[in-house]
Amino acid sequence: MTETLTPDTYERFMTEPPAEGVILRAQGLDFFYNGYQALHGVDLPIAKNAVTALIGPSGCGKSTLLRVLNRIYALYPGQKAEGQVTLDGEDILDARKDPAALRSRVGMVFQKPTPFPMSIYDNVAFGIRLYESLPKKQLDERVENALRKAALWDEVKGKLKASGQSLSGGQQQRLCVARGIAVEPEILLLDEPASALDPISTAKLEDTIIELKRDYTIVIVTHNLQQAARVADYTGFMFLGRMIEFGPTDEVFMKPKAKRTEDYVGGRFG
Amino acid sequence: MSFRTLRRKAANAVFVGFCSIATVIAVTALALILWTLFSRGLHGMNLNVFTKETPSGLSNAILGSLMMCALAMAIALVIGILAGTWLSEFGGETRYGHAIRFLNDVLLSAPSILIGLFVYELLVARTIGHYSGIAGAVALALIAIPVVIRTTEDILALQPQALREAGSALGTPAWMVVRNIVWRAAGGGLLTGGLLAFARISGETAPLLFTSLGNQFFRTDLTQPMASVPKVMNDYALTASDELQQLAWNGALIVTLAVLAVNVIGRIIIAAKAEQS
Amino acid sequence: MAPPKTQRLERPRGAWADPLFRAACAGAATFVLVALSGIIIFLTVDGWPALQKFGLGFFTSTEWNPVTDIYGAAGPIVGTLISSALALAMALPLAMGIAVFLVEFCPRALSRPVAVAVELLAGVPSIIYGMWGLFVLAPFFAAKIQTPLMMSVPDGSWLSKLIQGVPNGANVFTASLILALMILPYMAAVFRELLLTVPAQVRESAYALGSTPFEAISKVVLPYVRTGSIGVIMLGLGRALGETMAVTFIIGNSHVFPKSLFDSGSTLASTIANEFQEATGMHSAALVACGLVLFMITFSVLAIARGLLSAQRYG
Repeated sequence: MTETLTPDTYERFMTEPPAEGVILRAQGLDFFYNGYQALHGVDLPIAKNAVTALIGPSGCGKSTLLRVLNRIYALYPGQKAEGQVTLDGEDILDARKDPAALRSRVGMVFQKPTPFPMSIYDNVAFGIRLYESLPKKQLDERVENALRKAALWDEVKGKLKASGQSLSGGQQQRLCVARGIAVEPEILLLDEPASALDPISTAKLEDTIIELKRDYTIVIVTHNLQQAARVADYTGFMFLGRMIEFGPTDEVFMKPKAKRTEDYVGGRFG
Repeated sequence: MSFRTLRRKAANAVFVGFCSIATVIAVTALALILWTLFSRGLHGMNLNVFTKETPSGLSNAILGSLMMCALAMAIALVIGILAGTWLSEFGGETRYGHAIRFLNDVLLSAPSILIGLFVYELLVARTIGHYSGIAGAVALALIAIPVVIRTTEDILALQPQALREAGSALGTPAWMVVRNIVWRAAGGGLLTGGLLAFARISGETAPLLFTSLGNQFFRTDLTQPMASVPKVMNDYALTASDELQQLAWNGALIVTLAVLAVNVIGRIIIAAKAEQS
Repeated sequence: MAPPKTQRLERPRGAWADPLFRAACAGAATFVLVALSGIIIFLTVDGWPALQKFGLGFFTSTEWNPVTDIYGAAGPIVGTLISSALALAMALPLAMGIAVFLVEFCPRALSRPVAVAVELLAGVPSIIYGMWGLFVLAPFFAAKIQTPLMMSVPDGSWLSKLIQGVPNGANVFTASLILALMILPYMAAVFRELLLTVPAQVRESAYALGSTPFEAISKVVLPYVRTGSIGVIMLGLGRALGETMAVTFIIGNSHVFPKSLFDSGSTLASTIANEFQEATGMHSAALVACGLVLFMITFSVLAIARGLLSAQRYG
């Protein structure tokens, strides 16, 4: 891709969710990988208790944007974010702030399942134990609750002591979802969570996501347009590190305002 | 068939023949060595070898070897795993990290007799003042450490980055990500690395010549000179006595079998690990 | 209906230990630097008196005499280089032959066990090779090869010059042979692993052009692993240079230049192993200086190997 965008050559179309419902907001966000700029002045409003999907062709910066929201990028010295990201009005990019506290409020599930090398129970309890000391009974309840919400409980309740790595790929991914929600974050970031799964596991995971919306705010990165249309309330379309269009999912898919969005959701490039 | 084709076929036949003969020669030579080792080593092998002190048996030498190797491995595992972890998880890509990796390669390839010489100058001559089991263990540890560092870094580097990110995404402190997730995921590999290092040092003779020296008696005091099987083999092989030479071969067989057993266990762990994933 | 939040920590449990753990890891890594500096410093400081007293003569003189306290290490230095070069010359073709045979020609059922056996043999302690040399090879060589050869070769011919020496089997040639046997399994095992890294397509495309196995291997496969094989050779050489136990028993331990292939000689490592325990004063310093020279030689070999390998391994 040699094409470049300047502020003059693209128009942004932002249809904001109701302001009082916005829990997390990125404004004018730039991102650099060892000096290479991957995000250019991105704005993103995330509505509470809704699913927001980020779509766009490979390399458009959607995963990068997601990785800023819990500062997981900060693990790598060469990566740098500039601009503003506020959670409940508080700037999270402030380097002096403890990323651990942020990450307990903003959980993340990755592209490939990442069960820890321990039992199913310990996988889910891992995050809880970091922040709380609970009596065994309460901990059991929390683990069960998280597994139920992730729609995995019925499949694993008889073998909680088995290794997390013994589960199937789809089950592993729901285990990671359970592990993410067990610490009771406010926001859950999902980075192409279904890309390594078969269609049946994908359908189960999507059901789970829609269920979770009641208790959590969800941001999902996906390259699967149907998936975005099925699960998301809001959708942002990104291209070459810019947010081209953002709005309610129906509008972005049915009546896209930007030509590029129209081409992309219409399958003309991607 | 043209002359050219014939020539190509002939060259190929010579090549295949050479490779086959090379294998036969090498396998035969190595088989001869093993045959000598077993026939001479088994001869006169009895309980006394394990229960009597030198020069009637090897009990003190076996004990000394076990104690020094155990202490050496304890030192090497702590330093080696931490340093390998630093290279893989924290500082490996810095300039200092690259320098350390290179220096580790230098240490790995340093002749073992020089390690013995260094420990002699440092501990025996300057610090402790006499030969001791500790000096022997330190010399062995210096040989094992670079092996453990190398394998630790290699094995941790194989662990998926997503696993570390998933740990950090929960807000887990870096040391818990390493201890509870990365080390656990790499467990079998780390164990194998330790076993291979153990196998490597358990037959080492040169670094013990000027460090632990030897001891005629069954002693567990690491601050005193200490016997070891390879050193006893070295001393007795050079005597004119048939009985002592016999004991040297008994020791050779014991050491070789121990080394082979540890290697085989390491391989089984790797194979089991590979089957699992 | 989010569940009620329980009392929850701001920072995760154990976050305080992070700096400690990082410091421990960095400290352990620094230990490598400290240990290596220590080795170089001690070898230099304790060997310095000898280097200072004998100067360049330490490297050029073959007079090594504890009685007159005059030490020139040219004999052991040359002995080290010759025995290692000979060992490499013997082991290299065999190791390559074995590796190629195991990867390309050997029936599958046989390939695995032989490969495992070769790798296990690479772990056999070097003193075992030394003992075999002392008890089996040396007597056999003296009785069945050296003596008959000397009897049958006319006096004064170039061949007789090459093989003169005390017919006891302890000489530079047998020491090199033992060294070769010792590094052979190691080199064959590493070389085999190297050949296995050649992608199947590369090999197949060579055969697809109608190459014979010889042509495919010599023109495509071996060039493909060229840098890697130079690294293997250097690592094998490094092992041979620094080896003590496999050599000491059988090289004959004389400090002069070996006059022939079958003459006795010494290496730096064998000299240190034989004499250091009884040495004092200048003798001891000279032996430590030998150690320093040995370190420099193996270090250069490693540095060259590393330079050649860096493109492949760390690139």
